[in-house]
Amino acid sequence: MPDVTPGGAIPIGAWELAIATVFVLVAGGLSLRMGLKLERDLAIATVRTYLQLFALGFVLRWVFVNQTWPIVLALLGVMVVAAARVVLKRAGNAPPGVFGSSVVAMALTGFTVTFAVTALIVRVPVWYEARYVLPIAGMVIGNSMTGIALAVERLFADLDARSAEMLGLAALGAGVWECARPSVRTALTAGLVPTINSMAAAGVVFIPGMMTGQILAGADPLEATKYQIVVMLMIAAATSIGAIASVMLMYRKRFTEDGVYLEKGYREPAA
Amino acid sequence: MSGTPLLAARDIYAVREGDHGPVAVLDGVDFELAAGTLAEVVGPSGSGKTTFLLALARLLPGVTGELALDGASADGIAAQTWRTRVALLPQRPALVPGTVADNLRLPWTLKVRHGEQPPADAVLADALAGVGLVDVAPGRDVCRLSVGQIARIALLRVMLARPRVLLLDEPDASLDDASAGEVARLTAAFVAEGGSVVRVSHVRADASATARYRLADGRLEALHA
Repeated sequence: MPDVTPGGAIPIGAWELAIATVFVLVAGGLSLRMGLKLERDLAIATVRTYLQLFALGFVLRWVFVNQTWPIVLALLGVMVVAAARVVLKRAGNAPPGVFGSSVVAMALTGFTVTFAVTALIVRVPVWYEARYVLPIAGMVIGNSMTGIALAVERLFADLDARSAEMLGLAALGAGVWECARPSVRTALTAGLVPTINSMAAAGVVFIPGMMTGQILAGADPLEATKYQIVVMLMIAAATSIGAIASVMLMYRKRFTEDGVYLEKGYREPAA
Repeated sequence: MSGTPLLAARDIYAVREGDHGPVAVLDGVDFELAAGTLAEVVGPSGSGKTTFLLALARLLPGVTGELALDGASADGIAAQTWRTRVALLPQRPALVPGTVADNLRLPWTLKVRHGEQPPADAVLADALAGVGLVDVAPGRDVCRLSVGQIARIALLRVMLARPRVLLLDEPDASLDDASAGEVARLTAAFVAEGGSVVRVSHVRADASATARYRLADGRLEALHA
């Protein structure tokens, strides 16, 4: 029986990490054998996982000991900017200004939902308690990032697909919102459906990630359940509010002040 | 042309990116349209006929020049309001999902017409019969319409909204001769009631045109009818 940490978790050493890496090596070998050309990506992803997560571990360990509110807020800022960059990269056909709108949408949801949870539900003794604020903010921002990226990508693709219909609407006197409304609806559905599906499947199809982590770390399953419910609801709220905020901030950027949809030939270079 | 024209365009200039740098699609175009007239614009494919209509409807980004309706400058008229008076029927008209009646009443669901009464069922049925669509019920889903039927319903929709000027971009391109004749008749009736039409043609000439123009190399040239 291996040693157990004070929290109830079984510690993992270098040997255990090596075993986990062997499985990836097997996957890489299969890729090589089948000519999938995925081995290079797999290797880079594995190295990144090691480097990024170890770096995170060291940063978190340091922040937990030396936490001050400017450090915690600065880290949240870094997370928001990094997430906005991911949104920008995924929404390849988005107009200029999408980065700023993503930052605003994610800062709005990330900060509001995170601090609402830590202050009102978990009731941390210090409002910037890094041990709670950073992991919760990570989940909130990460999930709203995915929702926003899906919604934004779909928004601009759907607007392009409906450009003929929108020209007809604008020619009858429709305003920007009246032209864009069906695409806004489609975009928000695309952004929110994965979260709603994952809420419906949680506990039936899979054990959610945070609950798995807490159980492995020795927590009582019922306590882990309550935390997981809070996290799922908070992710649903953050994804919904983030996707709505970002889509509402962005859809006008594809129209002129006179309400004309900018077809491909009239656009400035992509953001 | 004497008196104030219904629609006037001065020095309309529009540039588009070409393969070898910017090209002036409209290079200082002047145009006047009197009430109760039908102007036909012809020109080779790609000469800027559609661009010209988009500019008149204030639906073209980056265009410069002056537009006036009944002597009132476009600067003092909101773009959405302008488009209810100078209405364009695009070359490839698209209907919104729903029934034929939903589409014909669409203009009255827009904020710009808030408070106006949409046409009654009997008016819609009469209008459909008037363009040879007597067998199309107002309740039919638009996904069950042919290309030619869609073109005529889109034309009806814009006409029922009673604009002052109608801009038609090849309205009969997808129609057979009989349907094209109905479109010409409908257009002529609109003009007889005091409306004005600018019609871009590629396939057929409109016999009832009161003025003809040719657009080429960014310039609009009057043709003697």
